[in-house]
Amino acid sequence: MPTPLIQTQHLTKRFGDKIAVKDVSFEINSGEVFGFLGPNGAGKTTTIKIIVGLLQPTSGRVTVAGYDISAQPIQAKAASGYVPDTPNLYAKLTGRELLSFVGDLYNLDRSQVERRIDELLRMFDLISAANDTIDSYSHGMQQKTALAAALMHDPKVLILDEPTVGLDPKSARLIKDILRQMVDRGAAVFLSTHILEIAERMCDRIGIINKGELIAVGTMDELRTLGQTGGASLEDIFLSLTGGVEEAEIAEVLK
Amino acid sequence: MRADANLAGRAQPSSAVLPVVWKLLRLRWRTTINSFRHAKTAAKVGTVIGLIGLAVFGGFIFWLSWLLLTFLRSPSLTQYVGDTTTFVDAVPVLIFSAFFLGILLTSFGVLLQALYLSGDMDFLLSAPVPIRAIFITKLLQAVLPNFGFIALFGLPVLYGLGLANGYNILYFPSVLLMMVSLSLAAAGLAGLLVMLVVRIFPARRVVEVLGFVGAIISIVCSQLGNLMNSGHNNNVSQDQVTGALGMLAQLNNPWIPLNWPGRGLAALGEGHWVPGLGLTLLSLGLTGGLFWLSLLTAERWYYSGWAGMQVIARKKQPAHSPRMATASARPVAINSLAVRLLPAPIRGLIWKDYLVLRRDLRHLSQLVTPLIFGIIYGIMFLRAGGEPPAGRGEAPAWLMNSFRNLMAYGNIGLAIFVGWMLLQRLAGMGFSQEGKNYWLLKAAPVSARQMLTAKFLVAYLPALALSVLFLVGFSILQGIAIAQAAYSLLVVVLCLAGMAGIQLAFGAAGANFTWEDPRKMNAGKMGCLGMILTGLYLPLNLGVFLGPLFLAALFSLPDGYGYLAGGVLGCGMSLLCAILPPRLLEARVNRLGE
Repeated sequence: MPTPLIQTQHLTKRFGDKIAVKDVSFEINSGEVFGFLGPNGAGKTTTIKIIVGLLQPTSGRVTVAGYDISAQPIQAKAASGYVPDTPNLYAKLTGRELLSFVGDLYNLDRSQVERRIDELLRMFDLISAANDTIDSYSHGMQQKTALAAALMHDPKVLILDEPTVGLDPKSARLIKDILRQMVDRGAAVFLSTHILEIAERMCDRIGIINKGELIAVGTMDELRTLGQTGGASLEDIFLSLTGGVEEAEIAEVLK
Repeated sequence: MRADANLAGRAQPSSAVLPVVWKLLRLRWRTTINSFRHAKTAAKVGTVIGLIGLAVFGGFIFWLSWLLLTFLRSPSLTQYVGDTTTFVDAVPVLIFSAFFLGILLTSFGVLLQALYLSGDMDFLLSAPVPIRAIFITKLLQAVLPNFGFIALFGLPVLYGLGLANGYNILYFPSVLLMMVSLSLAAAGLAGLLVMLVVRIFPARRVVEVLGFVGAIISIVCSQLGNLMNSGHNNNVSQDQVTGALGMLAQLNNPWIPLNWPGRGLAALGEGHWVPGLGLTLLSLGLTGGLFWLSLLTAERWYYSGWAGMQVIARKKQPAHSPRMATASARPVAINSLAVRLLPAPIRGLIWKDYLVLRRDLRHLSQLVTPLIFGIIYGIMFLRAGGEPPAGRGEAPAWLMNSFRNLMAYGNIGLAIFVGWMLLQRLAGMGFSQEGKNYWLLKAAPVSARQMLTAKFLVAYLPALALSVLFLVGFSILQGIAIAQAAYSLLVVVLCLAGMAGIQLAFGAAGANFTWEDPRKMNAGKMGCLGMILTGLYLPLNLGVFLGPLFLAALFSLPDGYGYLAGGVLGCGMSLLCAILPPRLLEARVNRLGE
């Protein structure tokens, strides 16, 4: 039986009067890629930030690799890697220095750190820029550096917020391959994306969030049944569940 | 359903420059109004009061200039310093020259930001509007605040001069016209200089260097006055005044083009129509021509400068071998010692902070400030000789002795002052300096205590090193006894630790992670509170350390009693302040950045 590596139970987050996330519960098992979809402002990034430990939930519980993120944050964070949608990295460190710093933060053995840095820099084609400061990197290079930083400690759980934005097709493909390899080794991958084609092809299960509420979770087939759109694409299911059909009609007008 | 085919390509590209400039300026005005409208009430009231204050200040300068320039023409002053006519005639020349150079220098930094680092250039350049209109708007945006600020001082003086000298009415509007014309020419020239510089160096690096140099020059200039005043007689002699006025008047050379606007306007005001109108029109023509030429050249240079910047940024890095780069990043001896003493996350944080602080010149300028202050105040302190003021000689001998004993510890005060300045930046803004990168720490398995310990050490160690350096230097120069020097060292080591704890705690409590410019990372109210509390802690702590020595001297007890009592009490207080405030902050640190 697969082990749940991420569990959220009745997760709610309020910002003043506004409810950003409302009673969200789901599980992600080891060996699974979970896609998290939703319109802009639906609560995807807030949910991710709570799982990673960047935000405290107003109520509810999150466990990562069996550790409660509120009660045992250090253990939970040590088991996870996170790539934010905007990779703000220390501009005056070189790529190599940043990865070395991350190695220290995760308390990795120094000889292991050196080897891992070389491995990751090669893998992401960053080796020639490894000793350049990050302020000279393009957006795509920064995105790859952030991903390399998240993979430094070979996490059990990888959480990615819009990981393919700003990446060239080669890098995007590389990320997909890496995620698949990690999942094959028993890790859990949680990714939010707006590119439905990526979600449809990569994810084993998909969750759709709208206005802070998780309105659907399941495999593609389960979602088709739920959306009553037999044989439809994920785009059709997404629009039917999030009420985006009207917007699609408007888009048609503009063609 | 299909969109109406007529909708396609409905956008009408505009080729007229001035209407687009007007639109862009209106857009700018709209954003300013919106910012004001959405600001907090206190900020709105502050802005209104500030504007009224500026108007009152302008009026005051006008009144003062009028009085001063009338006084310069008075016979009583002429008796004292000789004829001042040549100096008074040189005033417009000096002001217009200073105005042009001031706008040129200040516009450089603003235009560098506006043309290369602001986010709206791509948006504007991709819109179907003439590029010239964009440049004119950017120049106007850059020049207007500086124009307002410099004109606040210059315009009242020039109008005051006009009234004091009884200039004719044509002088007054011409002054304003000339100022506008000079501003545009200076801004155009500054724009060209920016584009030239950016062809060679990356824009961000230029901004950092400018900030660093500007900050250092302003601090050195402000403190040199103190240094000069500390050792010299401040009375100014008649010869000095006459010499200074004569030197300023000599700058009014007719062959320097920068002097033509001032000379022309002065002649115009005095009714010398031919030289007045000639020089004024020539100046207006030259400045207008310079502005136009700048615009034409800027349009050609902009793209090549921009493209060049991208290439330079990627080329500039040294080609180290990967292993060398990591190995050289941390000194082996320090590393191996630190490995034994500190956990890896703390070591990593300390190493990262020092790298970032050293490489970012914007941070470095804030760190060099204490050193400059320390040197200048150190020289002043040594000049004073460490002797208490003798007064009229009525004070009893015991009081003077005790006072002398305390004065001997003046080096402690100076050493701690230098360290305190450094702590304000390193401890007070230790968390804020993480800025938008804080997510990396928060998402990592690093406890609040580890973060606080790392930040404490990042702040405390350099402050301690700098303070000890000053202390040892002054102790040697003053020939202080070994026991006294050792006690001074203990006081500095412990007092700074307490101060670091307080500053760090308040800095963390009010941490700001949203800044774009490091000068705006100030920790706000909590940071101010931290400064006030350290201001209270410092005399109290020094009193606890040094008070027993004073009392021992007062009651003729052996020095050892004073050292022992002061050491125990001071040590307790310092350690309490070093440990307790950061401990109390641990829970708060866990919620930072949310």
